Amino acid sequence: MAHAKLQSSSPAANARLAEAPKTLTLNFSEVAKLAMLKLVRDGKEVPVPLDKGEKAAQTFTLTLPALLPGNYTVQWAAVAADDGHVTKGSFVFSIAA
Amino acid sequence: MEISGWDVAAVLAKAVTYAATFGAAGAVFFSLYCGPLLRDPQRCLTRRLIAIFVGLAAVASILRILLLAGSMSGDAAGMFNSTFAGMILGAGEGRAGGVRIVGLALILFTLSKNAVFRGPAILGAVAASTSFAWVGHIHALVPNTIPSLLLCLHLLCAAFWLGALPPLLIIATGGHEPQIAAAAARFGKLALRVVALLIAAGASLLLMLIGSAGQFWASGYGRMMAIKLLAVAALLSLAAWNKLALTPRLLQGDTRAMVKFRRSLLAEMSVGALILLATAAFTTLIGPP
Repeated sequence: MAHAKLQSSSPAANARLAEAPKTLTLNFSEVAKLAMLKLVRDGKEVPVPLDKGEKAAQTFTLTLPALLPGNYTVQWAAVAADDGHVTKGSFVFSIAA
Repeated sequence: MEISGWDVAAVLAKAVTYAATFGAAGAVFFSLYCGPLLRDPQRCLTRRLIAIFVGLAAVASILRILLLAGSMSGDAAGMFNSTFAGMILGAGEGRAGGVRIVGLALILFTLSKNAVFRGPAILGAVAASTSFAWVGHIHALVPNTIPSLLLCLHLLCAAFWLGALPPLLIIATGGHEPQIAAAAARFGKLALRVVALLIAAGASLLLMLIGSAGQFWASGYGRMMAIKLLAVAALLSLAAWNKLALTPRLLQGDTRAMVKFRRSLLAEMSVGALILLATAAFTTLIGPP
């Protein structure tokens, strides 16, 4: 209940992928609004379109641009729909050359 | 659990919001049952204190929203991001903040000497102190009518108790012994019932949110709540000493008891601040299991 925690993702945290994923999926423990998402590779942000008007949900799937091999960090922030609390976090994954 | 500087700042802003809101509302309630005991300089000082608390509560409420928005992006630009602020306000903070601001504005009617404005001021004190119930963990419970009512009762009692301490200190600092004794006795008599309601409401809410003793110790929320409960126990001990040991001595005209009474009030205010800080922390950083 209450704070929306990231329960799983695709790519999963610490995943080492053979090829670039086409989508990024976040599964939360509660219905929430995804307020912020940043994808960073080597200190540079990779633009990922985020619809900030999207309705609250437990699962969010975002279309990714073509990603180059490298180490990526996903930073996210969400607002729980039931109690208004803000949660945030990050995880990493990598794409092999 | 990663805690950023933004999270710490948001927790501090919430604690200040609690303290200032309860300070303003509690002083309004205090003037209802101890008003006739106040002399003009003390009445003037209490009104000034209420005005300061109202301003502080309003500023801290707004600042907290900005800090939460900033915590989303991790930079100052996020504080002024209308999308972030809109999401936070739309998820309940807007309703809570709106009720609080209206309540605080009504409390300012206390500044008038006209008794006609006492009613709106009391309404404002009730609205402001219960505004925190419009958002938060209890809204994850289904149904949440009874939890909401219990939380409103808990908040009103907290405002009554903690908000009475500054005006009591004003009397204890500048008043005559009989006046101090009478105020302490009158507050103590009412506080007994209020504290009983505060604890009953709080315990019921805790049971609803956590569910079992096992989950209490196993969860971060429960462990943080334990800090609050320890502080509440300390506050109750101070209050019991005040009522059972100091107040009777004050009523007998014991001058040494006056000094101890002032120190005790300062100690209660410090412990009260710790309680509000702990509450701000576990309601911001962690959810119930």
